[in-house]
Amino acid sequence: MIIVAANEPARAKGIQVGDVLADARAVVPGLEVLDDVPVVWDKLLHRLAEWCIRFTPVVAVDPPDGLLLDATGCPYLWGGEAEYLSAIQQGLRKRGYDVRVGMAETPQVAWGVARYGVNLHVAVGKNTEALLELPVEALRLEHETRDRLRRLGLHKVRQFINMPRASLRRRFGAEFIRQLDLALGRASVPLKPVMPVEPYRQQLPCLEPVLTAPGIEIALSELLDRLCARLEKEQMGLRAAVFKGYRVDGKWIQIAIATNRPTSHREHVFSLFAIKLPTLEPGLGIELFVLEAPKVETCVSQQENMWDSSGGLEDIRLSELIDRLANRIGGIRRYLPAEHHWPERAVRPASSLQEQPLTSWPAEKLRPLQILDPPERIEVTAPIPDYPPMLFRYKGKLHHVARADGPERIEREWWIEQGQHRDYYCVEDDAGRRYWLFRLGHYDDEESSAWFMHGFFA
Amino acid sequence: MRYTELQVTTNFSFLRGASHPEEIVGEAATLGYPSVAVTDRNTLAGIVRAHSAAKKWGIKLIPGCRLELVDGPPLLIYPTNLPAYSRLTNLLTTGNRRTEKGKCELYREDVYAHAEGSKFIVVPPQLNRKFEFDTVFTNLVKEYRDAFGDELAIAATRLYHGLDAKRLFRIHQLCRQLKIGMVATNDVHYHQPQRRELQDIVTCVREKCTIHTAGYRLDANAERHLKSEQEMVRLFRHYPDAILATQAIAEACGFSLDQLKYRYPREVTPESRTPHEELSYLTWRGAKQIFGENIPEKVKANIEYELKFIAEVNYAEYFLTVYDIVRYARENKILCQGRGSAANSTVCYCLGITSVDPSKFDLLFERFISSARNEPPDIDVDFEHERREEVMQYIYEKYGRDRAAVVATVTQQHHRGAIRDVGKAMGLSVDTINRLSGLIWDFRDEGFDRERILSQGINPDDPVINKVLQLTEQFMGFPRQLGQHTGGFVITDGKLSDLCPILNARMENRTNIEWNKDDIDVLGFMKIDVLALGMLTCIRKAFDLARQHYGLELTLANIPQDDPAVYEMISRADTIGVFQIESRAQMSMLPRLKPKTFYDLVIEVAIVRPGPIQGDMVHPYLRRRNGEEPVEYPSKELEDILGRTLGVPLFQEQAMKIAIVAAGFSPAEADQLRRSMATFKVNGKVSHFRDKLIEGMTANGYSRDYAERVFRQLEGFGSYGFPESHAVSFALLVYVSSWLKCYYPDVFACALLNSLPMGFYQPAQIVIDARKHGVEVRSVDVNKSYWDNTLEEKVGKYCALRLGFRQVKGLRKEDMERLVTGIGNGYKSVQALRDVGMTEAILERLADADAFRSMGFDRREALWKVSTKDHQKDSMFVAEDVRRDIEESVELPRMTLSEHVVHDYHALSLSVKAHPVSFLRDALESLRVCPANRLKDIRHGTVVRVAGLVLVRQRPGTAKGVCFITIEDETGSANLVVFPDKFDQYRKEIIQSRLLMVQGKLQKEGEVIHVMAERCFNVSGLLQRLVPQEEDVGGIGTPSRADETTSRPDARRERKDGVQMKIFGEGRNFR
Repeated sequence: MIIVAANEPARAKGIQVGDVLADARAVVPGLEVLDDVPVVWDKLLHRLAEWCIRFTPVVAVDPPDGLLLDATGCPYLWGGEAEYLSAIQQGLRKRGYDVRVGMAETPQVAWGVARYGVNLHVAVGKNTEALLELPVEALRLEHETRDRLRRLGLHKVRQFINMPRASLRRRFGAEFIRQLDLALGRASVPLKPVMPVEPYRQQLPCLEPVLTAPGIEIALSELLDRLCARLEKEQMGLRAAVFKGYRVDGKWIQIAIATNRPTSHREHVFSLFAIKLPTLEPGLGIELFVLEAPKVETCVSQQENMWDSSGGLEDIRLSELIDRLANRIGGIRRYLPAEHHWPERAVRPASSLQEQPLTSWPAEKLRPLQILDPPERIEVTAPIPDYPPMLFRYKGKLHHVARADGPERIEREWWIEQGQHRDYYCVEDDAGRRYWLFRLGHYDDEESSAWFMHGFFA
Repeated sequence: MRYTELQVTTNFSFLRGASHPEEIVGEAATLGYPSVAVTDRNTLAGIVRAHSAAKKWGIKLIPGCRLELVDGPPLLIYPTNLPAYSRLTNLLTTGNRRTEKGKCELYREDVYAHAEGSKFIVVPPQLNRKFEFDTVFTNLVKEYRDAFGDELAIAATRLYHGLDAKRLFRIHQLCRQLKIGMVATNDVHYHQPQRRELQDIVTCVREKCTIHTAGYRLDANAERHLKSEQEMVRLFRHYPDAILATQAIAEACGFSLDQLKYRYPREVTPESRTPHEELSYLTWRGAKQIFGENIPEKVKANIEYELKFIAEVNYAEYFLTVYDIVRYARENKILCQGRGSAANSTVCYCLGITSVDPSKFDLLFERFISSARNEPPDIDVDFEHERREEVMQYIYEKYGRDRAAVVATVTQQHHRGAIRDVGKAMGLSVDTINRLSGLIWDFRDEGFDRERILSQGINPDDPVINKVLQLTEQFMGFPRQLGQHTGGFVITDGKLSDLCPILNARMENRTNIEWNKDDIDVLGFMKIDVLALGMLTCIRKAFDLARQHYGLELTLANIPQDDPAVYEMISRADTIGVFQIESRAQMSMLPRLKPKTFYDLVIEVAIVRPGPIQGDMVHPYLRRRNGEEPVEYPSKELEDILGRTLGVPLFQEQAMKIAIVAAGFSPAEADQLRRSMATFKVNGKVSHFRDKLIEGMTANGYSRDYAERVFRQLEGFGSYGFPESHAVSFALLVYVSSWLKCYYPDVFACALLNSLPMGFYQPAQIVIDARKHGVEVRSVDVNKSYWDNTLEEKVGKYCALRLGFRQVKGLRKEDMERLVTGIGNGYKSVQALRDVGMTEAILERLADADAFRSMGFDRREALWKVSTKDHQKDSMFVAEDVRRDIEESVELPRMTLSEHVVHDYHALSLSVKAHPVSFLRDALESLRVCPANRLKDIRHGTVVRVAGLVLVRQRPGTAKGVCFITIEDETGSANLVVFPDKFDQYRKEIIQSRLLMVQGKLQKEGEVIHVMAERCFNVSGLLQRLVPQEEDVGGIGTPSRADETTSRPDARRERKDGVQMKIFGEGRNFR
């Protein structure tokens, strides 16, 4: 394993990026090591870029460890370039980032001085001069080209910038010439600025406090129009929405809904809210309405004829029906199989209607449709050591076992918990009802075994 | 009712079974089973172990196998007699040979063709949704029934899977319908239910998942263990016939591995002599060639004695087989020499297999073969490592792949691997696993130590960690794969595949058997070790060079013996590159031991080994040799044994004899003791011998202290000790290589460089050493070099050594051979090289190696010339190309000499221009650093400073944490010793330095000089001075350093040091 980043205390002890972890450990035995999570770099850079929008509207991410800011026209707001640079540096330092900020006329030179420069602030008109003193690394070249330049003894830009272009092109390729031109400002590439994601949130201030149900409905309807229009445009759908009202007495009230699949269907969302609207108490009146969608997911826009299809989980009418029911009575769950032998863990609730099972329902094991959670204690009469019971008492009622199958022995999942195994039996009583029973652990001479009712077959 | 388990998966079904065959058999015996079968998947690899265990426990083993077929349900097969067994091994061989290593591809038709005489049990699948067997299965069972008749049965298991009753019913139904038997089995995967956890873990390793994601790939319960007969009878109370059927099969299987008869190959006797007549003819002929007509009496007696013995035990064919291989090597000019205990045989010497002259040494034929140890002799022969494959292919060719194969080695799960696998399966983070396995490096096989685990920031009481450690203990020693032995061959008279399955090895053109060395020992098979030895390659190449350049016809036998100049050189520890005695430990021993005779070399080879060092035998020997301590013997009987080594046991034979004479061991026991030492780390069964030895010796009047010392030494010998005969064989090569180095250092260095990689030293040290001995070394050049290093005309005493292209990193042999053949009248321009097909990449590498000097370019100019991208291969405009080159004459920065040296190291790992440290001498002088070659003039005890490139850093296990470092400057090398406390203090400097400066007291003992490090400094930064300032990018300049508000990015400095490390990073490290 290779070290990809080290903090200052580690570097002070001689740990360097690119070291093999084992060697670093040999040097500093107590080294704390965190696994590199590749996406985090990217996310972090984006967040920093968004934060930097306060310094200029055009901020671009420059992986793996840089940000490019187009400062054109901005520094005077901070009272000059030096102040501007220091503001950026201080701002980031306050947030715990150790940064070097370089400034020059071309992004390439700025990039170079930030990393290799002595003088980080290249004054206007000094761009080429600054470039001359930079090492070859400051031109963003392929490793191979850089290496070859160094082997030829050409360590600084100054040493080769005046060589015949044709000779340079023959040896180091067109990309090399292009980088040189970019640095000199003879060519340019536009930056790709970062666009911050705006929250899915709409507001509606009212001139007069709204008191009546129709008024609230109109407000909701107006906010929904705006939100759904945006969602549709971005091909997104909401999974949850909150409708808030800020009252004149300084309190706020809210109702929330959730859906089973991402939707931007205005009427449907409205109908979900409509059920709960009567619970809103406007008090002395509401002066600000806010509609938020805290959870959104991408949603491929529906074609019209989809509305005509029927049946199955794909049917939007089904999911909308479930939404309506769930928002009215709550707690509708869908279960998916989970690969566990232990019955309590063999199912898990699905996160959405669309979620596909990762594994199929095990067909070769008989499992009841209804399971008791937790299992209920029963009294049985059973021959020893592991034969099915002959009769059992459940909720005070005695059942005679007419037919039985088993046992199926299921051990604890030892990496999760310790304890006794269970011996499961499928039994049918004389009335033809079928039950799923188990005995905890082996039959024991000393104590009577504990038996439980765990489920009912149809 | 009796019960026999017939379906057993051991851990030789890799990553399926969770118990050793020995554990299964042991448990079966404990449960009172009359017999037990072993049926691993398409392999018989575990049955020899099961067989030995069954003998020990006194129950019957039924050898069997589970045949996994491509086109049918699995079958358990049990051969009932020897021919049936041979059919089975041939069947498996067929399946193995048609696919790659580790797999076996078998079809129903194959089984039908090999079915005669075997019993079969078909293993049924699960029931389908209708609680029936699929018709595909029932149809195939019908087909099996037609093929096997009454020999077929169906396996019935009750594993508490819920549908047991239904499944048994269906099986019973099918059996009735087809009129075949139903046999109870328990599909055993582990001997005790507690092993279920480990079985789950190996399942995860096999399926490459963690215990959390394994899901239904794991079994729901822990029922697949050996159950008592009573319990099995109860489980099958509705089907008592299924229990009876196990006994019917068990009784029908009368085959035991004891019936395997190994026969030596026979066809090696021409002229219709019997093998024994042939052997004695060849032996006496050889003896006459060596000793002339007057064979010394002692030799004569030896030969007669040995021949008589060989006739008695009927080993003549074996000797002839080995003789034939050696003869082949000789005829093809491949150097070879027998090693190990075979050197105790005068017959072997006369046959030319070994080289230890029986007229000069007292050989112990019994150490080689004896009637007491009822096992086949073991002859190991070393061949040149580059040409051993020829010998191996000769064996295959001569005997055929069906009669000769390499022995297997069972790769065992070692501690580190075990914890990695278990940790991964338990879902530990990579970092935690690394930390845990990192502990093992420090602690070898001693297990885990709480303190150490805590020191790594891991809580040993954490249930997951605790479980990981516990399962790791169990998992250790599990077989993981069958590899091929380094060179052990089994050759038989009949078909080898009648005895054992043969499989393809990973290497092309190799086949091996499934059993390892111990297994074939148990069965009494003969084995020949065809080993590879780099030094033999080097010596052969040296002989060739000596013929070419000095007109000498050298052989291993005609090198002048007992030459005082050679011993004088050895005594000075001037032994870089010499066989065996070139390591630092050896080199520091040489001046103390001062070898004067050949036997001293033998002792030298044997004494610097972990065995004698751990047993604390080295210093007593040295003191006695130097007359500082009287030579005395604990008893008269031991004087005979220890006389030659001044009363200090140094050889394996001596330690064994002490056990026999002083502790009352039988010879067989002594040998067992030696063997158990080698394996005790895995099995932990050594204390029994310890008690016996120490009790025995104290009872015979030896001091307890002495007895314990003998035991400690034995402990070391087990794995690392040398038998005397082996040391003698090696000492011969030591002498030969020393002689070459002493008289022809040019030849020796050239041959050594051409035989790398081998030995301890890097090319740079070999070249430096050659120059020190007056050999001119010339640099690589496109017009003068060949692929190999070569010798050129004589300059002064010796030929000049021209470095070859093989020293340049990244060049390929084929390309360079094309370059050499196309040379014509010499290359005059870069274009001429392109014309023979040298690509830009090759030319750049050559330029980096500064190989254009004969064209008048230094490396930088050459690089500029070769590194154009747009030249056309078959350019019509050659003239234009030349013109452009002229037009482009651009001024490049000049390289200093030191810069050239840095780049030489980069491209070649060495430089003939200068030593890098020489450029820093002024700087080092101002630090009051003493050059390495002046240390000898400084008094013992003086505090000195030395500095140099780090060559070797070692912390041998025998040295209790002491670190040995060798550094090198332009004048020579210096040896440093760092004690543990200092090592901890200067850990960082020691590990990170390329250029290390050390201050410490000088310790002198005769000519052995050490610096005992007190302070260490990393002065690698000085190496920066070898390259011009411009290369130091990132402006280390002071202004911004002082500027507190602008912190320096360290990225620059890091990369730069990185370059330095790469260039001078040739030190051999701890690991």
